[in-house]
Amino acid sequence: MTLIKTRRILSFAIFILFVLLFAGAEKMSAVLSGILPPLQFVPALLRTLTEPDVVFLAGLAFILLITMLFGRVYCSFLCPLGTLQDLLIAGSKRLGLRPAPSYAKPLNALRYGLLVLTVATALFGSLSLTCLLDPYSLAGRMLTHFLQPLAAHAYNLSILALKPFDLYLHPKQTTFIPLAVLATTGGFVLLVSVLALGHGRLYCNTICPVGTLLGLLSRASVFHLALDPKACLACRRCESACKAACLDPQTATIDMSRCVGCFNCLDACSSGVIRYQQRRRQPDTGRWSPSRRRFLLGGIAVASGFWALNANLREVPGVREAGANPPVTPPGSISAQRFTQTCTACSLCVSVCPTRVLTPTIAAFGISGLLQPKMNYEKSYCDYECDACGRVCPTGAILPIGLAEKKLTQIGEAELLKDICVVYVDDRNCGACGEVCPTHAIHFTEKETILYPEIDHQYCIGCGACQLACPTTPRSIVVHARGIHKKAREYVHPETSAGSGTTTGPDFPF
Amino acid sequence: MAGERKFKRREILSRGLSLGIVAGGALILGKPDFLSAKEKSARIPDLVAVKNGEPDAMFKKAIELMGGMEQFVKKGQTVVVKPNIGWPRVPEVGANTNPLLVKTIVESCYAAGARRVYVFDNVVTPTPSNARNCYQLSGIENAARAARAIVVPVDNFSYREVRIPGGKTLKTADVHSLILDCDVFINVPVLKHHSSTHLTIAMKNLMGVVKNRMEYHLTGLDQCIADFCLYRKPDLNVVDAYRVLMSHGPSGPGNPRSADIQMKKTLLMSRDIVAIDAAAAKIFGREPESIGYIKIAHAQKIGNMNLRELKIVTYAM
Repeated sequence: MTLIKTRRILSFAIFILFVLLFAGAEKMSAVLSGILPPLQFVPALLRTLTEPDVVFLAGLAFILLITMLFGRVYCSFLCPLGTLQDLLIAGSKRLGLRPAPSYAKPLNALRYGLLVLTVATALFGSLSLTCLLDPYSLAGRMLTHFLQPLAAHAYNLSILALKPFDLYLHPKQTTFIPLAVLATTGGFVLLVSVLALGHGRLYCNTICPVGTLLGLLSRASVFHLALDPKACLACRRCESACKAACLDPQTATIDMSRCVGCFNCLDACSSGVIRYQQRRRQPDTGRWSPSRRRFLLGGIAVASGFWALNANLREVPGVREAGANPPVTPPGSISAQRFTQTCTACSLCVSVCPTRVLTPTIAAFGISGLLQPKMNYEKSYCDYECDACGRVCPTGAILPIGLAEKKLTQIGEAELLKDICVVYVDDRNCGACGEVCPTHAIHFTEKETILYPEIDHQYCIGCGACQLACPTTPRSIVVHARGIHKKAREYVHPETSAGSGTTTGPDFPF
Repeated sequence: MAGERKFKRREILSRGLSLGIVAGGALILGKPDFLSAKEKSARIPDLVAVKNGEPDAMFKKAIELMGGMEQFVKKGQTVVVKPNIGWPRVPEVGANTNPLLVKTIVESCYAAGARRVYVFDNVVTPTPSNARNCYQLSGIENAARAARAIVVPVDNFSYREVRIPGGKTLKTADVHSLILDCDVFINVPVLKHHSSTHLTIAMKNLMGVVKNRMEYHLTGLDQCIADFCLYRKPDLNVVDAYRVLMSHGPSGPGNPRSADIQMKKTLLMSRDIVAIDAAAAKIFGREPESIGYIKIAHAQKIGNMNLRELKIVTYAM
């Protein structure tokens, strides 16, 4: 099998697994979340930095190793956004839509600038740029925000069609994606598609910080693609086959920092002029290249700029607001600050959340945490018996604390507004909040057969079930975030009063 | 001593025999109308209470004392059996209707000639994932399917708005189309403690066929529960008081070992939804007048909570 065929089969298989990870059934996602994200650069790196895990560390080492050995093959084999673009390009080629690409000069200022900016902002505590640009997270959002709801709607429609035949299936809940988030993800779909159809892998070579970073390593990869100028027939078939626009037949060079390792050129060259071989010591090593100088200068400028800005970062309006009134973050995220500094907004937790309480936001966490998800208690509640988000989160933003600890983790605190609660205002039974409270934090005191709700805050974990159940507008019981999560007290059921005894007497009370 | 307490066995036998002759005669003459409502009410007890048996055996005894399932389900009819499947809890917690009871009722309906038997409940937090959990953990989905029932999951689009004639607070309700379209409606609640209304029994169980439940909570829970019965009363109510959750209702604890359970091993059956709630309240240990919706429904003449005025047949196994 040729390299190109191997690449096509492998990358397609991995892409399908990604689709199943984000849009498949719950159990499948749970299994795949332990396999695919460790092989993604940003999650592997973040997990290793924040919450070291041997699988993710191995994944990171593997990515770095294959890049140093073979170049940016990551971009053509493992990256779901890369394969998505390849599929788009292949599709348009088949339809005859795509013009034959030709060599293009690298946009060094842009690509290195974005890389430095992304790294610098991350170092200063904001993952916003990483959230926006990381290809894994971007692909995850595309699948979660568009494909998954589409699949759910299609499934529910097919259920409707079965109803007349007395065949009933449980419907699937569709995720609530705010319009602004949908527009943002849609914008990126458009950007990536337009770039892919017009210029091949331009997103990967100019915008993607992971691509640029791996490109730096690829410059010195052990194996590299080389064009033998003496044997070249100048047919330029390789140039029009190169998706990365990094092959220049005129100078007989292949820019390995931009080459995505698709091996299309090997296949295109009929005369075997292009070879994938071990790098020989290059004569120009150590030369002062202008692009490197610009990169270094730009990097220093941007880093120092951020250094100056950092002191005032918390004063940027969005950030300050989020700090004063942060949204509720999922159990296992420890604190809102830790969450925003670790989450890359891949939306995997959103896609597996069975109650769909996790909703992606635009800037609810301020500009330092764009697109990150929050617990949306106006739409749903956190299921007491579920810890799915922590089990799948690849970056460690939501730690897998286990169900027992999750049940005692106070992510928020309910507040009962007695001035609008119907029981207190009208002296009529309601009790909707207490019915659904899983921790017995809400209890009732009886006065003349009316049951008045009260909250015992030591038991409340802030799951939001009460807020969702409350019938008043605005709600009479609301959950406020706990900036730093706390441990709740475990409710101990009173000894049952000779309860389980069987009442066997033959008498009836009437 | 086991056996009837208020009626002698001979009396029951003669009643059963005469009923059989009447029914048989009616069939032979091809005049089922002969079994007129007047005649029927004279023979069918207002309330049947059975205790100290397993849920299936108690139901079989009760329906026999009631005059047989054929009194309620005719050949070719569609039936909706509405248990309480409100909570993601295993049967041992007592938060949902006993699955064996549901299965036995479905079987009994088919044996009486029902064409289709549907089992349905709108779970308390009606998200699809929670509904699936409730149907599965309660054991009702599997039990009902084993008896060939059509188990209908929760959705948002099967409801139609109806007017409640004479409703004081609840003027309209979005009712599940199964209830609107069925021939026979059998209400099978579980008796348990309830944090909002003290107890939940038969009337409260009907909140599971309407979509705008939050309107009840907002405008007056007890009054709305009573008002809904003015729209349609179930043709038969069967109260499961086999395993009774005495506190921390309606959900009960996730762990059955913490559940405050009393094994009352009792089953009630009646066409009068107020009477059956009153009798169940007594079994729980509360006076019917202390439960808001029972008192209101009695005042609105939906049924009779004065058990002394009713013809009650009891049986201890």
